Amino acid sequence: MTDAVVYVVDDDRSILASLESLLSSEGYEVRAYESPRDFLNARCPDLPGCLILDVRLRGASGLEFQRELARAGIATPIVFITGHGDVPMSVTAMKSGAVEFLLKPFRDQDLLDAVREGIARDRRRRARDAEISSLRRRQAALTPRERELMPLIASGLMNKQIAAQLQLSEATVKVHRSQIMQKLQARTLADLVRIADQLAATGPGE
Amino acid sequence: MVSSSEEQAETSFRVTRPQLALAGGLSLALVALFVATMPFARLPTQNTEILVPAYAAATFVLEAMTAALLFALYSARRSLPLLFLASGYLFGALMLAPWALTFPGVFTGFDINAGLQVTAAFGLLRRLAFPLFVLAFALAPRREITTSAALVAVCVCVGATVLIEVTLYFRDALPPLMRDGRQVNLLWQVVPALAMALYAVDIVLLLWFRRSALSLWVCIVLFSLGIELLLISYLGGGTRLSVGWWAGRLYGLVAMSIILLVLIAQTTLVHIRLARTVAAELRSREKRLTAMEALSASIAHEINQPLASMVTNADAALRWLSKAEPRIDKAELALRRIVEDGHRANGVVAGIRTMFTKGTRERAELDLAAIVARAAGEASRDARHYGVEIVVEGEREVPPVIGNAVQLHHVLRNLIENAVDAVRAAPLRARRVTVRLSQEPHGEVHVGVADTGAGIASEVAERLFDPFVTTKPGGMGMGLMFCRAVVEAHGGSIWASANTPHGAIFHFSLPVAILSVADAQARSGVEEKAR
Repeated sequence: MTDAVVYVVDDDRSILASLESLLSSEGYEVRAYESPRDFLNARCPDLPGCLILDVRLRGASGLEFQRELARAGIATPIVFITGHGDVPMSVTAMKSGAVEFLLKPFRDQDLLDAVREGIARDRRRRARDAEISSLRRRQAALTPRERELMPLIASGLMNKQIAAQLQLSEATVKVHRSQIMQKLQARTLADLVRIADQLAATGPGE
Repeated sequence: MVSSSEEQAETSFRVTRPQLALAGGLSLALVALFVATMPFARLPTQNTEILVPAYAAATFVLEAMTAALLFALYSARRSLPLLFLASGYLFGALMLAPWALTFPGVFTGFDINAGLQVTAAFGLLRRLAFPLFVLAFALAPRREITTSAALVAVCVCVGATVLIEVTLYFRDALPPLMRDGRQVNLLWQVVPALAMALYAVDIVLLLWFRRSALSLWVCIVLFSLGIELLLISYLGGGTRLSVGWWAGRLYGLVAMSIILLVLIAQTTLVHIRLARTVAAELRSREKRLTAMEALSASIAHEINQPLASMVTNADAALRWLSKAEPRIDKAELALRRIVEDGHRANGVVAGIRTMFTKGTRERAELDLAAIVARAAGEASRDARHYGVEIVVEGEREVPPVIGNAVQLHHVLRNLIENAVDAVRAAPLRARRVTVRLSQEPHGEVHVGVADTGAGIASEVAERLFDPFVTTKPGGMGMGLMFCRAVVEAHGGSIWASANTPHGAIFHFSLPVAILSVADAQARSGVEEKAR
C-alpha cells in the first residue's frame, strides 16, 4: 500500500505518535505534522492521500484550516478527529466535504475505514482529474474548425445536416469528423458524446 | 457602631441636597403663610363645614398611602420600628373617619348626633396616638421580625374599631372638652400641650438614636404637625373653622403630601436600584456558570487527550503484535507511549488537585532558576508558533526557596502563557516575553514576566487576581487567581505593573529559604522530642 500517503496534523505529540504507529502498522506511509503550517510547508508527494486533522489546534481551528485548504485548491480528503465534538461542528465539517468526523478516543477500525475511504475518494478524484486533463490535451490538438464542428457532431446531427448548416461540402464534414474521432481517441459516436459531455461539465479548457 | 442593615437603610434612603433644599424652601413658604394668617387667625369663617369632608378624605388618603408604603417597606426590611411607624399612620387614618362623620354640622343629612364631645375625643385620640406610635418607632429595638404586615394592619384596624365603638358607647361619660360646636373648653388646652410635648420628645429621641434618613423625614412630619397644632389651638384660639384652624389644617395637609411624595420617590429609587443590582447579580452568576462550564470542558479535554492517545497506542501495539511477523519493537514503543500518557493524565489530575486544594504539603528546597528555565523552555515551543520569543534574563543563580515545584511551575507557565497571549493579540511590535529573575536585598527572590502587549486596562487592574476576572476573549479568569493563591501560600506576593513603553509586567517574589529542608526537618524533630 505504498502508493498512498496519510498526513496527520495534531498538536498533541503523543497522539501524533500513536496515529503514526497505528497507520504504519497497516502499511500506510505516514507524514506527521504538529501544525497546519508545517503541513503546508512540507512538499507532498503526488500520490493519493488522506489528511487526519485535529479540530482543536493552536492558532487556527481545524475547521478554519479545512476552508483554507479548499481555497488553496488542495483537495486531499479530510478525516476530522476531536476531543470534544459537538453536532454543529461535525455538520460544518461534513458539509465542507470531510470524509468522517471521529470523537477521541475512537476505535482504530473506524479510523482505518475512514482513511481507506478517504484514500479511495482521492484516488477516484485523481483518476478523474487525470482523465480530464488527458481529454484537454486531446482537445487542444483540434483545429478551430474541428472545435466548431465537434458539438454539432456530438449532438447527433448527420453529416448532411451539418454541411447544410455550415455551408460546407458533405465530404469536408466527413473528413473533419474522422479527424476529430481520431484526435479525441473516440472509437464510436457514443465515445465522442461522452467526451464532449465531460469536457463541457468541467468548463472550457484553457 | 452602625449595623450593616442600618447602613443599608442609610444608603437607600439618602437625603439628597436638592431634597433638603426643597423641604426647607417649602417649610419657609408655609411659615410665611402662617405668619400672614396670624392677624386673621381668630376670625371665624362661615359655612366652611362643607370643606371638612374634603379635608378629611384628602388626609385619609395621604395617611393611608403612607401607611401602605411603610408596611411595604417593613415587608422588605422586616424591621420592628418600621412596623410601629406604619401602624401609627394607619391608626391616624382610621380615626379620621369617625372624626369627620361626627363633626358638628357636617353630615346633617344623615342625622348623626353622637354628642358634643365625641368629635373632640376622636381628635384627641388622633393627636396623641400618632406621637406615641412614633415614640415606639424611636425606642423599639432594631430587631428583625417575621410577623406578617397584613396581620398587623388587620390588628390595627380591629383595635381602632374597638376604640371607636367604646368611645361612642361611653359618649355621655366623656370629659367636657367642648363648650359648644365650635368653642373648646379650658380642658382641651391640655391636649395640644401634651401632643406638642410628645412631638418634642419624639424629635429629640429620633435625632438622638437614629441617624437614618427615614427618622429625619419623620422629624419633619412631627415639626409640621407641631406648627399645625400651634395654628389650630393657639393662634386660632381653639375655635373650630376659624381662619387659623383652616390654615393649620391646610398646612398639615401640604406638609403631609410633600413627605408622602418624598417617600414615594425614594421607594421608587430604591426599587430601581434593587432591580439593577438583581440584574447585575444575575448576569455575573451567568458569567460564572459559563466560566465553570468552560473550565470543566477544558479539564475534560486535558484528560481526554492522553486517554485518546493511550487507546490508539494500544490499538497500534495490538496490530503490530498480531501481524504474521509480530513487530515486538514497534509494539514496545507504543506501550512505552501508553506509560507516558498514563503519567501525563495523572499529571493533569494532580495539576487540577494542586490548583484547587490549598496548602499542598509537598515542600522542598527549590532552585527557582531551574523552574523558570524549564517553564520558559516548555512555553517557547508554542510561542515560536506565533513568532513570539521568550527570553530569560537576570541572575542564573539565586538562593533556594522552599516550596512546591509543581505549583510554582504552574504559576510560571500561567504567567508566561498570559504574556505570550498578550503579545500575540497586540499589533506587531517587538514580539518578546522577558522573564527576569533577580535576588532582592530583603531575602527575597523576584521573578518578573514582561510582555510587549496592550497592557492592563485600569478598570480590571485591581481585580486582576480575583476569580473569573479575565481580559481574554476565551479566558476563564482562573489562572491569575490560582497564581495568587499559590504565591501567597508560599509566603510571597504577586502584583502587576505597566511595562515601558508597552505592555505589562507580572511580578512575584518569594522569601528565600533561611534553613535548608534538612535543617528544618532536624529542627522539627528536636521540637517534637522536646514536647
